[in-house]
Amino acid sequence: MATRRDLLTGSSNSLLLCLLEQQPMYGYQIVKELEARSQGYFRFKEGTLYPALHRLEKSGLIAGNWQMLSNGRQRRYYHITDKGLAKLAQEKTQWQDFLKAVRLILQPGPSGP
Amino acid sequence: MTPELIQYLENIRYNSKLDHSDEKEVMSELEAHIEDKVQELKESGLSEEEALETCLGQMGATKLVAHQIYEAYSQGSWKHVSLASMPHMLFGLLFALNWWQHIGWLSVVLLLTCVTAIYGWWHGKPAWVFSWLGYALLPVLAVGLALVYLPKGWSLLTLPIYFPLALWWLFRVIVQTTKRDWLFSSLMLLPLPIIIGWFLAVSPAGRFNEYSLQRVYYFAPWIGTSFMILGLTIAAFIRLRQRWLRIGLLAISGLLTLTLVVYYTSGRLNTLTFWGLILVMWGVFLLPPLLERFLRSGWKIRWIYDGADSAKLR
Repeated sequence: MATRRDLLTGSSNSLLLCLLEQQPMYGYQIVKELEARSQGYFRFKEGTLYPALHRLEKSGLIAGNWQMLSNGRQRRYYHITDKGLAKLAQEKTQWQDFLKAVRLILQPGPSGP
Repeated sequence: MTPELIQYLENIRYNSKLDHSDEKEVMSELEAHIEDKVQELKESGLSEEEALETCLGQMGATKLVAHQIYEAYSQGSWKHVSLASMPHMLFGLLFALNWWQHIGWLSVVLLLTCVTAIYGWWHGKPAWVFSWLGYALLPVLAVGLALVYLPKGWSLLTLPIYFPLALWWLFRVIVQTTKRDWLFSSLMLLPLPIIIGWFLAVSPAGRFNEYSLQRVYYFAPWIGTSFMILGLTIAAFIRLRQRWLRIGLLAISGLLTLTLVVYYTSGRLNTLTFWGLILVMWGVFLLPPLLERFLRSGWKIRWIYDGADSAKLR
């Protein structure tokens, strides 16, 4: 049986792309958002978020840029690219097919005639 | 910044082996994340020490984070692959096509090698520069050998000056490369045992003469092949992400190529010389990590000292 960590590892790219589809975010914000929206189910070892983000950036699926805040601190905001949007659409379809298949097995409907 | 945080970031920096521009960005991002997290934990009622301890625990072990950062950045593009394997291929072609006899081609390749190595060295030391750098050491070696053939008085006068200077310069290059990543030092020095092997095969008495030239001509296709094998090795090295695979690839390819040298020279290298070359090859893989460990102990002391100093200032 896959552990929660395995599930997160296998789906981290899709989850990150999905979050960044809605708005540009910086690393800490992504961790908080992921935790809040999954009601605490998905928790990264926070340091490992950055290698995942940088891998996506190197593949051209997201892009990051530094922004100076009013308090003088800098943060690196990531946004999804066109290539990332296309990849996300593809992954969403795969996930929906997968979830539909799992649901059919977990909640079997009345069998046919 | 507290000493614990400095040590945490330094461990990640050291193990992730990034080039300077990437390193600065990655470390700033991690630092900003930790500052945000510690601030939030302090606002929830934890003391500074508790907040930092909790935060670093949630960030994950430094080796795990560094390992993942290394794998995210280590793979070079196909452009880097061609740049890194090019010097091996050029020297391979030089011998395979027997162009080594034309002083013009030889000069062009050596000049291109030196210019590219110097350019890469002063432009952030990217991974591809180290294979050029290995061949850029050849002219230094060649000048040293040429000095041996000077009239006796001149040899005795110039060699004691040239060799310490050349060795000092080589040592500086190795130290600077090892500071970037010891694996690049091994990559840079990889052709050395192969070149020594071929040199001993063509001039067993250690002196290069007319007879040696005939032997180079005879062995040229195999000399070319051995450099091209190194070229393919470096191409695969640049594309691999995992560090242990990279180390294994360099070690296996280096030893295999050396065995090929001995095989093709069909008995011209005796067993003692072969084992001597194997020893040099192991030196190529063992000395850089030892040197790095030695240099690291010096850095660690400096970092902790700097950290304690800045903490005191706050």
